[in-house]
Amino acid sequence: MNIIVIALLVFGLFFFLAGGIGIMRMPDFYSRLHPAGKLDTLATLAMVMGLVLYNLNEISLGTILVSIKMFLIVFFVSLASPTATHTIVDAGMRAGLRHWTKKKQRS
Amino acid sequence: MRLLAFIIVTLTGAFLLYGTTEFPDWGDPNSPASLHVSNYYIEKTYEDTHAPNFVTAVVTDYRGFDTMFETAVIFTAGIGCFLLLRDFRGKKEHYYQHIPSGVILHVKDEKKLLPIGKEFGYMDKEWVPPDLINKTVCRILIPFIQIYALYVVAHGDYSPGGGFQGGVIFGSSLILLAISYDLKTLVERVKEKLLGIFAALGVLIYAGTGALCLLMGGNFLDYGKLAPLIPGHSGHIRALGMLVVEIGVGIAVMAVMTLIYINIVSEGRHDEGL
Repeated sequence: MNIIVIALLVFGLFFFLAGGIGIMRMPDFYSRLHPAGKLDTLATLAMVMGLVLYNLNEISLGTILVSIKMFLIVFFVSLASPTATHTIVDAGMRAGLRHWTKKKQRS
Repeated sequence: MRLLAFIIVTLTGAFLLYGTTEFPDWGDPNSPASLHVSNYYIEKTYEDTHAPNFVTAVVTDYRGFDTMFETAVIFTAGIGCFLLLRDFRGKKEHYYQHIPSGVILHVKDEKKLLPIGKEFGYMDKEWVPPDLINKTVCRILIPFIQIYALYVVAHGDYSPGGGFQGGVIFGSSLILLAISYDLKTLVERVKEKLLGIFAALGVLIYAGTGALCLLMGGNFLDYGKLAPLIPGHSGHIRALGMLVVEIGVGIAVMAVMTLIYINIVSEGRHDEGL
């Protein structure tokens, strides 16, 4: 059981790290939002799943209640995070921000 | 000039850092903060009030006056924002949408108002259609945010939280409605008069609880004297009194948050904005 928990946590940490590197390395606004929106959601999902499994080591009413609350966190994060990313991209498009191209970089 | 600013910032920072060396260590039992009343609170709070969360007990019971005037400060902030920003003058120009055809009309005559109904709808100059994804997700999320806010208020004496936090969460759910749809949707559902009444009602609940304790023969905000009003709960009557007070704080904070947001974002005209 603990091995699965550690695997999930490491998986989540890897995606958080990749998301952080992506935010730093990507060339412009829109492509930076790509790792920020997607990888964080997946990493949160994996890490909270690991914590839920760790929490269910001993099964009682209390731990099951806490696990349900953690699942609610996953549910709301996976609902709200992509929407927030969509909204930011939408605001950028409406404000008229041009997307990045290779030609622009050369000049 | 930048060099001067840099020197001033460095000097101030150095003085502040020098000041921190005089601070007591982290968790030092002999520091002034943990010598006087803290020990009493930690040891006696549960016996005195039967509230498991002694932060709440300190805030709303031992230091109830402080929190009452904090609520009054928030109420004053809301009233001040209203008085400074609210603009009752109408606009010079009006924009309308002819709903069956979708044509937008620009009326420059100040006095010529078209009837709002099935045929004509309000329209703003800077209007952008609300995004479908935003609207749907916010419609799903807002009830959950509001239930969570009530949970935070109601569990104020059992877990971290309380009136201020719950009120802010509830107010932010209303602000989310204004952001995801538009301001008019919020103002139609939550009237300005209602918000003003709620802001005053929250402070009234808090001060009224204190005055009720005074009437029952105790000191101001001495919840223990409320026991005859609620038979069968004399053990944790102080925790119940705290709950009533937290509900008052929550109502006031919710109303004032929404009032400030509406006034700032539309420059006091309550017609357009985010």
